Amino acid sequence: MRVPLKLAALAVAVCAPLACKRAQREVVVYTSVDQPFAEPIFREFEKRSGIQVRAVFDTEETKSTGVLNRLIAEAQRPQADVFWSGDPVRPFILAKRGLLEPYASPAAASIPAQFKSADGSWTGAAARAKILLVNTRKVASADMPRSVRDLASPRWKGQGAMANPVFGTTTMYVAALFTVWGDDRAKAFLEQIKANGTRIASSNGEVRRLVTAGEVAFGLTDTDDAHEAQQDKAPVQVVYPDQDDLGTLVMPNAVVLIKGGPHPAEARALVDHLVSPEVEKRMTDTAGHIPLRRDVAVPGTPGPGSFRTMQVDYARVADEIAKIEPWLRQWAGI
Amino acid sequence: MGRHLSARLKRAEESLALGAIGGILVLAALLPFVFLVVNLLRAPAEMSAGLALLGSREPWFVFLRSVASALVVAIASVLVGVPLGLLLGSTDVRGGKAALILHAFPMFLPPFLLALGWFYLFGRSGLLGGSGQASDALFSLGGSVAVEALAFTPVVTSLVALALQGVDPSLVEAARVAARPGRVATRILLPFAWPAAALGALVVFALSLSELGVPMFLRVRSYTAAVFARLGAVQYAPGEALVLTLPVLIVSVALLFLERRLVGPRSFSILGLRSAETTVLPLGKWRPLGTIIAWAGALATLVPFVGLAWRASTGFAALPDWIGTGPQNSIVPAAIAATLLTGIAVVVGRAIALRRPGAKALDALTVLAFVTPAAVLGVGLIAVWNRPATQPIYGTLAIIVIGFVARYGVLPTRTFALAVARASPHFEESAAVEGAWFLRRLVRIVVPLHARAILAAWLLAFVFCLRDLETTILFYPAGSAPLTVRIITLEANGPEPVVAALGLVHALIVAAALVLGAVAFRPRKAS
Repeated sequence: MRVPLKLAALAVAVCAPLACKRAQREVVVYTSVDQPFAEPIFREFEKRSGIQVRAVFDTEETKSTGVLNRLIAEAQRPQADVFWSGDPVRPFILAKRGLLEPYASPAAASIPAQFKSADGSWTGAAARAKILLVNTRKVASADMPRSVRDLASPRWKGQGAMANPVFGTTTMYVAALFTVWGDDRAKAFLEQIKANGTRIASSNGEVRRLVTAGEVAFGLTDTDDAHEAQQDKAPVQVVYPDQDDLGTLVMPNAVVLIKGGPHPAEARALVDHLVSPEVEKRMTDTAGHIPLRRDVAVPGTPGPGSFRTMQVDYARVADEIAKIEPWLRQWAGI
Repeated sequence: MGRHLSARLKRAEESLALGAIGGILVLAALLPFVFLVVNLLRAPAEMSAGLALLGSREPWFVFLRSVASALVVAIASVLVGVPLGLLLGSTDVRGGKAALILHAFPMFLPPFLLALGWFYLFGRSGLLGGSGQASDALFSLGGSVAVEALAFTPVVTSLVALALQGVDPSLVEAARVAARPGRVATRILLPFAWPAAALGALVVFALSLSELGVPMFLRVRSYTAAVFARLGAVQYAPGEALVLTLPVLIVSVALLFLERRLVGPRSFSILGLRSAETTVLPLGKWRPLGTIIAWAGALATLVPFVGLAWRASTGFAALPDWIGTGPQNSIVPAAIAATLLTGIAVVVGRAIALRRPGAKALDALTVLAFVTPAAVLGVGLIAVWNRPATQPIYGTLAIIVIGFVARYGVLPTRTFALAVARASPHFEESAAVEGAWFLRRLVRIVVPLHARAILAAWLLAFVFCLRDLETTILFYPAGSAPLTVRIITLEANGPEPVVAALGLVHALIVAAALVLGAVAFRPRKAS
């Protein structure tokens, strides 16, 4: 009997923490922003406000969509108060399902109008851009690819890479191309990419790995991944593509309030913090993001005014994602 | 009237207890799938999309590739694990016991931690990976197979070594009079080890087929990762993911059938018959060579720790900033789940060993829950438990406990079944004849008689819950990420030395649990 008694005692001891009620003020946030960048910001908020942040992070594989789907799965009984998305289109998917609570944060007053919704249903914060990351050991500066169309160009056959467009920011980028080019041209382009032997990686981080390793000459990825490669002193150069016509896609992070979240007051406080100039500067400094506010300029970091941006309506891009997803899945395979 | 009722109750008590405990298993493991099936029937579009996908070539290609790679992993594990188990479990190689313990340790860790260790050795910026060729090899299907084979080989080695402890030493001694060590090994010991090796191969195949972390980390296409990723696509389609698990379920049923045909009751009789004396096959002049081979094989599985330790050397200082409540979030639910699972195992495991009606079905349920892609179980658990009335469960670590109970029932149940199968049923039968009720027999006879097996079952359940990644990743409560989840989410763009240090912390927690278990297992001196 001694062992079972010991086990029972152990069970009581370990069960105790489950029974403890949380007395502290808290807020629950789901985020697809990388944990190494997001967590210090949450800690800073905890220190300032005394509100404990309980977070759920995404994995690299399901970036931007894993926690989104968890929000949808939990829609009947929301667990999250805030969703800090790594792009501005996922919030529209939540909005369509009636899961958002509009909140125009006073801290976002200086964010340009094109990077937030008029009704406060989403607010943009620091942004990333879809860029070409080029391995300088494989490509001379005079020969750099200049356009996303180079992924389909016979000149670069088998030398390019992009992430699976079913996931992450690449879905948004491809959907943006569909809105700008139309279905036929965009579909033809993706088929050409495939025929050109372009590597379809599992994530943007994987594209970075392929480029820095020299397995491909260049790849379509995000500025934060390029920033990582540069921090690691990899032989790479960033090209803001399509400066002559299409422009480079800018993808602001988006902060939204979840309707029916369990801690509405604390959630507003966290939203105020996440869209503040301090956090925008921090994301620019540490995570290779682009500031949206003109007064948050960081030396060496281009602002959205310093390059030609792709003119897209994020709401339309979100609609386009829903429309093209079945075709994209078919294109990408399982 | 009262006496009649009492007599009927007494007769039905065992069945009622098995039904109640089975009900817990059904609630934890089967209900999530039932919910998903019902939801799928309500969403015919998702079902047709899933079926259409299964009707195409691509998923089958990925599936067959995954089955083939799991098969190669299982074969490699047997090819290495059987001779190693033979050397470490039944010969006089120097330090065989210590080598076996060291060799077995990695099987209690999440395989992706070992993949991380290999990456820190052979990645492009790794300790030995300057050329890039090693890195390319690691980030390939072959690399993934090799990492998994090294991670899972100790399963076969340990089972074979354990089985050989049951061989009657007099058989070996008699054979040694006329035969050389090699002949004794192949003609006497190997036939005894075969069922254990077959069981090990099946377990390794199942573990490899359901592995998520290694293919995800090494960016290798696998069916389990594809099902997981399906839940991460823009259009949330859990029903589609459920349809995609059908091929895995078919393979799981086939595995169960194979296990029952090939190994069946022999797994209980041969694995469990530990004789009072241990068989020791003297290697004679081959002893030094045998020792070198045994230790080399044993230590091969520990190589990734060199990579982890090297990379973590500068990461420990920053550990307090990143470790959070990860260890607590791993240990607490794992301990609770292990305790519940052990309780379940006592009733169900005993019923399996004694072939009680319904026990086979519960055994099949635990096996299928273990092998089915955990991501689907995760979505099912959300569907069942995220309701206003069940928030004290869904919003806390309790949901992780339920996930563990659903997934890992097979391990303690089979362990306890093994112990009951090898013990004499006479004590319990005598008590029954004397009129003892089932629960009284269970508490007064079965539990004390198998106290060590209960501890083993608890320990096994605990370390497997600790190493879990794929079950909890979809529904862990906000702010309560277990250490394994924390490591994998930090791995994307996180500081490598810290990630490596977190991996070592996880390994230390598991090692501490195993050491405590070993201390508890130490035979007590008679007073």
